[in-house]
Amino acid sequence: MTQTRPNRTLGPGHDDFWEGCAKGELRIQQCSACDKHSWPVVGTCEHCGSAVLAFKTISGKGKVVSWCSFVQDYYRGMMPVPYDCIMVELAEGPIFMSNPADFAYDDITFNMAVEVTFIDAEDAGGPFKLPVFRRD
Amino acid sequence: MSYMELFKVPDPTPELSRKSAIVGVGESDFHADYQAARAKASGYEGHTSESLAVIAFERALADSGLKREDIDGLGVNYLYGGPSAEETAEMLALKPKHIMGPTGGICAGPIPLACQDIASGAADTIALIFSAATRSIGRKFGGQNFGSGAPSSYYYHHPWGWSSQAAHWALIWQHYMATYGKTEADLASVAIQLRNNAMRNPNAIMQSPLTVEKYLESRYVVRPLHLFDLCLVNDGAVCLIIRKADMAKGLAHVPVDVGGWGHAAVKSDKLHTLVRERLRPQFQESGRQALEMAGIPLTEVQHFEGYDASTIHLINHIEGHGFVEPGAGLDFCKSGEMDVNGSLPVNMAGGILSGSYMHGWNHVAEIVRQLRHEAGPSQVKDVEVSMSSLAQTDQVHPLIFMRGSQS
Repeated sequence: MTQTRPNRTLGPGHDDFWEGCAKGELRIQQCSACDKHSWPVVGTCEHCGSAVLAFKTISGKGKVVSWCSFVQDYYRGMMPVPYDCIMVELAEGPIFMSNPADFAYDDITFNMAVEVTFIDAEDAGGPFKLPVFRRD
Repeated sequence: MSYMELFKVPDPTPELSRKSAIVGVGESDFHADYQAARAKASGYEGHTSESLAVIAFERALADSGLKREDIDGLGVNYLYGGPSAEETAEMLALKPKHIMGPTGGICAGPIPLACQDIASGAADTIALIFSAATRSIGRKFGGQNFGSGAPSSYYYHHPWGWSSQAAHWALIWQHYMATYGKTEADLASVAIQLRNNAMRNPNAIMQSPLTVEKYLESRYVVRPLHLFDLCLVNDGAVCLIIRKADMAKGLAHVPVDVGGWGHAAVKSDKLHTLVRERLRPQFQESGRQALEMAGIPLTEVQHFEGYDASTIHLINHIEGHGFVEPGAGLDFCKSGEMDVNGSLPVNMAGGILSGSYMHGWNHVAEIVRQLRHEAGPSQVKDVEVSMSSLAQTDQVHPLIFMRGSQS
């Protein structure tokens, strides 16, 4: 079932990420100078300052390093509360904020292994694939 | 745009230490105004940023004992909009020769910048006004109606429903519990300590006792954080009058010298640094700058006022600056060390958790009362050095204050 979500940030660079998601791939920027990955999208590498960055498909694997559950309805009904968010440390290094796909707040253990999967979503920009994480 | 892009914090050079002093302080009626706003009594119209600013300024001027014409500099900080500094000067019948530029609103940049302006000769006596009718204008936090979605901000994570300042502190607390084996009840001690402090301050908004049971029964806002882990939302204003130090003697009160300041910002891996390191590198670096400028070691700080946007964030300050080791902050609080008679009294007016949400300005106002030795039942015995620390999610701004001399 398609979920309505708050708006994505779209535009140059950001669109590369969402185009990857549409193909079932998690693509983030990798620096050509220092090889480090960045997320969210950056203009220059936040590690070495290089402007030579390319979107690369990554493993989609990571571990849950923190998590929370929204009880306050910050989105005024758009996302039914309560819902959970997880802070995933990707195998490639960056932190990725996401949602659990097949588990919930009380199931989570510190450093639990997870892998990416995609669900159908839509926002003001139209339908899209949203990367979330399932148990690995 | 980040507020830090609006101005640059002056270098923390020892030459500027104790060259300026706070000689006047004024606050609006936080408690009475909050009660009136909650009760919505008939005829109650609420405050505007302007009306609050006038109240705080007139009180600070009266407190200082200075004449209106002594105020030759003005800096205004209306957090959610208000008149210009020129219009404010007219409203207050002031004729300042110096008007400060943008300083970011929150109590991070304005004091160092005022000290720099005084040292440069731009003015001798600057009135710094902060005013925010946060509650009256219906300001709501989180959600989709604010922000640009810049990758550095939490708005970027909208599609996953991750929003609000509170969510940052929730992730920190979850990670802290997992790392140090703590439970939700452990964090209650911080909310209770701050409430106890507030109850000694008649102008603090929250005056009813808090218990562990009441804390655990309160609703979650962003689990694992409860209602009492998050700061208040209220209207108010604070005015501080800062004067050239050699002109600050012989006035109505003991001057409170600005001894030092520091500033450090997260440069990369923002969420990693915030959640897993709890800004420790930034606390350490900025604290070192401020202490070096003031010429004292951390052990000489006798009273601390930290930015308690959340209970756990106050613990980040205590541990980050090095008052206790990482992981020891909650035991430190539980054993009473942050109380008025403890080894490091913290947030003696109730902070922003139970006192008033004045974005760091009320913390500095309390330091002024403490260092004058006029803090009543909250007075820290014989205090000579206080430290404030304002930290949001990616910046830390400590300030060191010292009790000055009347003669």
